[in-house]
Amino acid sequence: MRLRAGISAALASAAILVVGWQAGAHVSESNASAVTTSFAGNTGGTNTGPTANGTTGSSASGSSPGTGAGSSTGSGSSSGSSTGSSSSSSLGASAKAGGTYAGTAMETRFGTVQVQVTIKAGVITDVTALHLTDNEQRSVQISARAAPLLRSEVLSAQSANVQTIGGATVTSEAYLTSLQAALDAAHF
Amino acid sequence: MQHTSKPGGPGLGGSEPRLRSRTFPSMGTVVSLAVPAAPGTAPQAEVEELEAATAVVEQLFNGLDRAFSLYRPDSEASAMARGELALADASAGMRRLYVEASEWRTLTDGAFTAERPDGVVDLAGIVKAHALREAGTSLLALGLKDWCLNAGGDVLVVGSPIPGSARPWLAGIVDPADRTALLTALPLGNAGKHALATSGTSERGHHIWSAGLQGVRDEGFRQVSVAADGIITADVLATAIMAGGARTLALATSQWDVEVLAVKNDGGLLATPGFRNVGARNS
Repeated sequence: MRLRAGISAALASAAILVVGWQAGAHVSESNASAVTTSFAGNTGGTNTGPTANGTTGSSASGSSPGTGAGSSTGSGSSSGSSTGSSSSSSLGASAKAGGTYAGTAMETRFGTVQVQVTIKAGVITDVTALHLTDNEQRSVQISARAAPLLRSEVLSAQSANVQTIGGATVTSEAYLTSLQAALDAAHF
Repeated sequence: MQHTSKPGGPGLGGSEPRLRSRTFPSMGTVVSLAVPAAPGTAPQAEVEELEAATAVVEQLFNGLDRAFSLYRPDSEASAMARGELALADASAGMRRLYVEASEWRTLTDGAFTAERPDGVVDLAGIVKAHALREAGTSLLALGLKDWCLNAGGDVLVVGSPIPGSARPWLAGIVDPADRTALLTALPLGNAGKHALATSGTSERGHHIWSAGLQGVRDEGFRQVSVAADGIITADVLATAIMAGGARTLALATSQWDVEVLAVKNDGGLLATPGFRNVGARNS
């Protein structure tokens, strides 16, 4: 049950994350709610599958405050689609709960927006925008937002390939042993 | 290392640019100026030009440090901190920078501030970037078209490390968990932003002032790098996002044309599209 609560909290966090992502982009709240419902189905104590529909309000399980916040934004009807394995009620399977959860494509004033969340072992590993239109300049703002990124997705750089090093301010003493000092020495 | 004299050089996988750099200590850190060492020109003339330019930049940094440093008892800023000098009576340069910092406070919803909690005017958060900006103006006035300035980890570039080519400067970003390793790299200059600033703390668990925002400690960032066209914008927003957390991050990416890479306290990364697959984009 503790694991289930953890997973519920993680899913609720995903909902909050998506809502925050959307609210920050000034998408209207009624649109944002459509995405969160795919997670609200999971937070219900009796409905464990992502395809669970409806009755998020009837959940009587001891949900965490985070869960409550997540499901309270739901509109009540499950409109999300999902792929991947759904969490089940057995502990062993719950620990491995994961999959890819997609929200409904929504028409916003920024264009069409759809969000996909990937969850592995109860942990959100990625949030991606599945579909963005950029027929308006505003939609660029959405795609310009900061999203979770795996370290494998960024360019793996070696100091030999760069010309300068950015980082939090180093003191004169720390500079002596810094990568920038090595570059400067090499460029003498 | 392979050298080439062919302009319009290849992408990241190509030959490495040849550079020359000079450094000097200022503002409690080390500043370095790097320029391309173009083959074919007399090395001695090149070195002299670089050293003359470095001297100009050094003079500028030290002049600003003498006025703005709170570590110097004889500075104008220290006199203000002791209450001996009112802002209204301060130098024009001091008042101008204070006004600029105050405007940034409004623009960042208070996440960036030019005043310490005790009310003392503290422009330390902006003066290094201001010095870089002024130094950049001076270098352009000197006719230097390709250079990279680095002041303790904040970077401002113009042109290319291979003069005449489309090749961008490539700035590595330090991994806060291992200062001898790079997290990633970002192209600057040609076809990119010109400035990169990073705010952060190398000590896990330590967090800077949080502008009274709840939850910043837990959900906050260990290091925030911002690339922008101007060094002030990059520096202020990096500081503001460190202080204001996710809310300020969302504000910054929606209001300014910036690229942001934030390292969360739990080690996770948040990044704008410019930090994704940088290598693929440039190859």
